[in-house]
Amino acid sequence: MLKQLHKQFPFHVFVWLGILFLLIFSYIPMFGIIIAFKNYKISTGIEGIFTSSWAGLTHFKALIDDYNFPNLVRNTLILSILKVVFSYPVPILFAIILSEVKNVAFKRFVQTVSYLPHFISWVVVTGIAYAFFSTGYGIFNELLLSLGILKEPVDVLTDPDSFYGLAVASAIWKEAGWWTIIFLAALAGIDPSLYEAAEMDGAGRIKRILYITLPELKSASIVVLILSVGSMLGGGLVGSNFEQSMLLGNSLNSEKSQIIQTYAFNIGLAQGRFSFAAAIDLMQSVISLFLIYTSNAIAKRVSGTGLF
Amino acid sequence: MQRRKTLEDRCLDSFIMVVLVLIVFMTLYPFYYILVITFNSGTDTTLGGMYLWPRDFTFGNYIYFLKDPKWLSALGMSLLRTVVGTSLGVLFTAMVAYGLARRDLLFRKSYFFIIVFAMNFSGGLIAYYVVLKSLGLINTFGVYVIPGMLNLFFLLIAISFFNDIPEELGESARMDGASELRIFARIILPVSMPLVATMSLFMGSGHWNAWLDSAYFVQNEGLRTLTYRMMQVINQSMIPTGDAASAAMSRSKVTPFSIQATAMVVSIVPILGVYPFLQKHFVSGMMLGSVKG
Repeated sequence: MLKQLHKQFPFHVFVWLGILFLLIFSYIPMFGIIIAFKNYKISTGIEGIFTSSWAGLTHFKALIDDYNFPNLVRNTLILSILKVVFSYPVPILFAIILSEVKNVAFKRFVQTVSYLPHFISWVVVTGIAYAFFSTGYGIFNELLLSLGILKEPVDVLTDPDSFYGLAVASAIWKEAGWWTIIFLAALAGIDPSLYEAAEMDGAGRIKRILYITLPELKSASIVVLILSVGSMLGGGLVGSNFEQSMLLGNSLNSEKSQIIQTYAFNIGLAQGRFSFAAAIDLMQSVISLFLIYTSNAIAKRVSGTGLF
Repeated sequence: MQRRKTLEDRCLDSFIMVVLVLIVFMTLYPFYYILVITFNSGTDTTLGGMYLWPRDFTFGNYIYFLKDPKWLSALGMSLLRTVVGTSLGVLFTAMVAYGLARRDLLFRKSYFFIIVFAMNFSGGLIAYYVVLKSLGLINTFGVYVIPGMLNLFFLLIAISFFNDIPEELGESARMDGASELRIFARIILPVSMPLVATMSLFMGSGHWNAWLDSAYFVQNEGLRTLTYRMMQVINQSMIPTGDAASAAMSRSKVTPFSIQATAMVVSIVPILGVYPFLQKHFVSGMMLGSVKG
């Protein structure tokens, strides 16, 4: 074994470099989450994680007593649930519609266009939202006012009540096309003879969609559903709860836009309350872990398909 | 055999056509609208009512953008971090993958466990920040390029790619006494160009679009990136700009918003430039990712 190790030594060095990297940037932070139970000060650096005094559950108590806490939990949950509910069906429907297009060039064109926004920064997407929804010159208000749908301009960007809709819609705009790829790949795997047989039996196209296409998408849909429920607190498929809350959120709509993650981040970095912020992070991770295991277990029981 | 179209077929086809054209319009129009804004004088844009074509055509926004040292340095910094960060990321990730791709590697299972575990669990942003701060990376260029050096998703893709390369390829060089690093750089990497291209495109667009690190891990003005500057305009759009700045702006008939739009176009163009190449590769990358789950 030692001889083999010696022979493979250069390969091991490559791997060790990678593992050293993970140790620093993944494992120390993972272990560092214990500062949630300590009185950590940033000036003490990494040693401080070990040497700082224990605080027990003080920070968790402080979090629950924080006057922002109910708002944060409500915003995080509502935003996450809305995103799963509204963004999940979009790629599936889009894939089915695309699969019904016979003109290959047109189909490819639509698909190419649809995933373009995935590669654009959230900052740019937010900038686009500002251009569209600004009350001064944004198209949105001008159009709705001139059509008489609105009586007076709505400031979508600062009105707290518009935040959820704005976040969900812009996330779908940005990411739905990208996720369609998975479902299109699943559709490409369907045996064409199924459709031919159905056609012989006189099934129209809508019937074929209902009885062949939809059932064939089942396993892909379940996998994606588990993934999106499991990552729900981050925004599910379309992700980006954190980015949106940071970028689309502002002091005027913060009552609806501030979520657990951004609060942790702001409190930690702006006020230097690292232990308190880590407690928020930890709480969020525990809920996420719970969600992914539960959704997987439910999926397994209901359909026999699961991720693990 | 071409079947005659039934009424159902025709209804469905028209419905699909309408939906798809609507989707294409809703995706492309925002980009087009931003482009129109950049070619219209900023002060005129604020009057509203412009939808399809610049009303007061000008190159003023682009000229102002290119003359403003702040925007220029941000553009340069974005380019620099994209080039440096992508090169480092691709080389380091590929190197680690090359080590792991050796099938008879001792402890291979344990190594994989360490990687997969790190993929699934994280300590959260706060603990991550603590580590960056302790390493002295905060407020340096390093914070842009070092933490992203090892991309675990592409690590797995690269391992499966290297596994398909015949082992004999490096054998003769090994006989001649070439070091593994040399074999990796001179023989393995050159035959892995499709992999390198995919990784470069994805990591590159990630670096180009990143904003969080420039916004929160850096205070030095010289290190600000394009995405950060755009974010700053968004954050300040509700606060009136300072007198000196606004005087200079009104002289050239630009507004913070029209400059912002210009920056957005500048930021989108490189993505559009590599998009055809990206597209060639990302479907396979996406599928690998989904299988991994």
